[in-house]
Amino acid sequence: MTTTNTTNDQFKHLNLPPAITDLPRNNPHISIDDYDPEGDLLVMNLGPQHPSTHGVLRVKLWMDGEVCVKAVPYIGYLHRGVEKLCEHRTYVQITPLVDKNDYVCPMTNELAVNIAFENALGVTPPPRAQVIRTIVAEMQRMSSHLLAVGTWALDLGGALGGGATAFMHTFREREMLLDCFEELTGARFHYNHHTVGGVRHDIPESWSTHVLKALDIIEAKIDSYEGYLTENQVFKARSVGVGILDPKLGLELGISGPNIRASGVDWDLRRDAPFAAYDLVDVKVATAQAGDCYARYQVRIAEMRESVRLVRFFMKNIPTGPICALKQVKLATAVKIPANFSGYTCIETARGELGTWLVTPPGKKKSAMPYRLKIRPPSLHAVSALPWVCPGNNLSDIIAILGSMDPIMGEVDR
Amino acid sequence: MALFPTLEAMTIAIKTIFTRQTTEVLPWKGQRTRSPRYRSTFALLHDEHGEELCIGCKMCEKICPSDIIKLVPTGRQESPVTGKKRGYCSDFTLDLNACIFCELCVQVCPEDAIRMLRTRQSPGYSREDLVLTMDRLYDNESLGLLSWGSGTNFMDAQDPKRGLVEPEPEESKVEKSSKDVTT
Amino acid sequence: MSPLMTSLIIGICIATVILTITAWSIWYERKFAGRIQNRPGPTEVGSFGLLQPLADVLKLMQKEDVIPRDADRALFNLAPPLTIVAALGLLAVVPFSPEIVVSDLDVGLLFILAIGSVMVLPVWMAGWASNNKYAMLGAMRAISQSISYEVPLLMSAMVPVILAGSYNMGDIVEAQSGWQWFAFWPVGPGAIAFVLFFLCSLAEANRIPFDIPEAESELVAGVTTEYCGMKFGMFYLAEYLHTLISSAIASVLFLGGWEGPGPDGLHWMMVKTLLLFALIFWVRWTILRYRQDQLIKVCWVYFLPLSLVLVAVSAVWKAGLI
Repeated sequence: MTTTNTTNDQFKHLNLPPAITDLPRNNPHISIDDYDPEGDLLVMNLGPQHPSTHGVLRVKLWMDGEVCVKAVPYIGYLHRGVEKLCEHRTYVQITPLVDKNDYVCPMTNELAVNIAFENALGVTPPPRAQVIRTIVAEMQRMSSHLLAVGTWALDLGGALGGGATAFMHTFREREMLLDCFEELTGARFHYNHHTVGGVRHDIPESWSTHVLKALDIIEAKIDSYEGYLTENQVFKARSVGVGILDPKLGLELGISGPNIRASGVDWDLRRDAPFAAYDLVDVKVATAQAGDCYARYQVRIAEMRESVRLVRFFMKNIPTGPICALKQVKLATAVKIPANFSGYTCIETARGELGTWLVTPPGKKKSAMPYRLKIRPPSLHAVSALPWVCPGNNLSDIIAILGSMDPIMGEVDR
Repeated sequence: MALFPTLEAMTIAIKTIFTRQTTEVLPWKGQRTRSPRYRSTFALLHDEHGEELCIGCKMCEKICPSDIIKLVPTGRQESPVTGKKRGYCSDFTLDLNACIFCELCVQVCPEDAIRMLRTRQSPGYSREDLVLTMDRLYDNESLGLLSWGSGTNFMDAQDPKRGLVEPEPEESKVEKSSKDVTT
Repeated sequence: MSPLMTSLIIGICIATVILTITAWSIWYERKFAGRIQNRPGPTEVGSFGLLQPLADVLKLMQKEDVIPRDADRALFNLAPPLTIVAALGLLAVVPFSPEIVVSDLDVGLLFILAIGSVMVLPVWMAGWASNNKYAMLGAMRAISQSISYEVPLLMSAMVPVILAGSYNMGDIVEAQSGWQWFAFWPVGPGAIAFVLFFLCSLAEANRIPFDIPEAESELVAGVTTEYCGMKFGMFYLAEYLHTLISSAIASVLFLGGWEGPGPDGLHWMMVKTLLLFALIFWVRWTILRYRQDQLIKVCWVYFLPLSLVLVAVSAVWKAGLI
């Protein structure tokens, strides 16, 4: 399956490392009859009810003994019709609705759609709002990576075993971040914090002290996680060399975020296409070369450290001023976007590039509801890599790969 | 087999035994301190004269993304306290089963009538137990512990002119206009 | 009374005590796990949660017993009690003190290893009879793991046999009297053999880091997926039982049995057993699990040659040549 107009031309300047771009590709469309006419393969379902499929994901596996020959993921178990619902809600009502897509770092969903609305309206949020958005986005990234590392250790080590210990420790740190969010917005999850033109809650007085204290603790604990996991013999044996993602394959499939950065592709929207206040700071992008599960883990740990540094940088100088460019929404239909608009906006979340394609109704009048709001979730592309990456691996490796790709089914299915 | 990283991991795990535990044992005598902005259940408020604040404008009903608020306004009636005509509502239902706690209804209320509380609604045994009728909403007011969010607070917070520089005095304005004329 | 009666009574007493300790090891494990994870562990049932095992047992007993439609009923029902019987059978030759031993066999260690091999069967029966692909995979993994790890287990258990000159467990403990515990003296082979025996018994008992047959995150519950209620409880109990008895055997073989500072006796035996048992929990709640092929590779590529070398070294030592 060769494609001539791949996206590789765009990324030529990145000089992909030659070593692992020559991986033989597994054929995900292999016909099992051709593979094994005797039909002696074990057909197994991984999920949808399973302790470690990160949501409701069903992966149909054809196993030759313990080794997987073909893997086909089935999604849609968590489809709630979010995009259809958005077509019948006004722009202010959409924000609490898309909160529930990527339920691990909810504010990033809100940020994505609100930036799309602001681009359509031509409104720039005030500087204070931009900085608050950035701080909150980085804290969400941190909490998402804490959860990702914790649940991945849980998959590797067992719900009753070493993995559970790592899980409990990362969640303890995540609780501190959730308390900070509660102080800022009033809710621990699903905040409805962003709005068209800025944010809705301003920073309370003692927030910076709490956040900086939480960051100190988290930074010390990241060292503890590294001591616990990074050089651990068993951990390395389970994750080094497992699930190598070819960067060319990743780019063809549209994988972004830590998954592709662990394969050597140096692409991060925070630095290359800055949104919010990221143009004020120099984001150091973490990459790794190996492309295996261990590399993805290392990239996530490095990103956590980078987030700590960024939040500390922004907390030092938050500009004063208003936090919203538009007057407060009193009427549901207050925010109206001109007709015949269609545009795509993307931001960098903890999982990759989260895009929003907004189309407003045709006609002459401004409208209060979108005609079509399409969300481009990064986890969908990560899940689509499974048929290519899984074959040839043990069942245990498949669990490890799935965990390290960190898909969130709420965002995949919407 | 490099045992040392494994031993290091085991030492880190053991050290946690001697640190203070982060969870609390139930039944817990203490009270979890919620932040001032914590939002949980709802209450309709009376003003200082004992009048109901809700004027039945239906803004909350229109903005709710989950369509859980149902309001039946009465016409304009004379208020027993001020003597002026104002709206009232005869029935107000909020279905807490389907609420997503987005605080938009609080944001749009022009009278700060509906507020969220920092205490939680006690759970019930049937779905009807969580449908807040008008009586229950006014009763919730006695629970106290209002959350920070109210219509006026949000309006002030999201004011686009908040915290900006004061507008310039008259003299400089005149100078500016003459400059504009030359260019 | 006749020796048979004595043995029977001693056996029943030991079995009762060991089963009680196993039941309370459930409490200990959950408390320990909780503290490692920065939380208290069970505190509700009884003060400090001490009656938690009772609550667990009662909960398991009152569950409905569901047997899958196409399951092999005879094997399905037979597997759980067989695990407990096989685990308890190991107790027959473990000497807890110079007087308390159910049966002082001259080939005690061989008996232990033979019964240990029997323990593979019920796991396989459970996996096959469940008519469930996950259980089947778990059973496959369990068999390959158990029979692979029996070889280095046997070999490392040979080291105390060679050093003591007898298969009789009581004689092995006697040979360690005078603080010449095999784990510490002779310095090289004994310590390594102890660690090897310890790790192989972890593998036999399907404990982390070798618990891939019942890997919760991959195979739901592995071999025991289709079991409910007390049958599952029996598997659960049998795992703890096997672990406890393995620690007892390890302390007999390598740690000097009933010897200790002050008067020798049953209490030192229990202390050592419980210390090893606690160590097994510590390992369990800290370390992640190995993958199946890595497990088997570790066994055949690292453990087996090492154990053969140890046997050779200890034989040469015993013969007085070094």
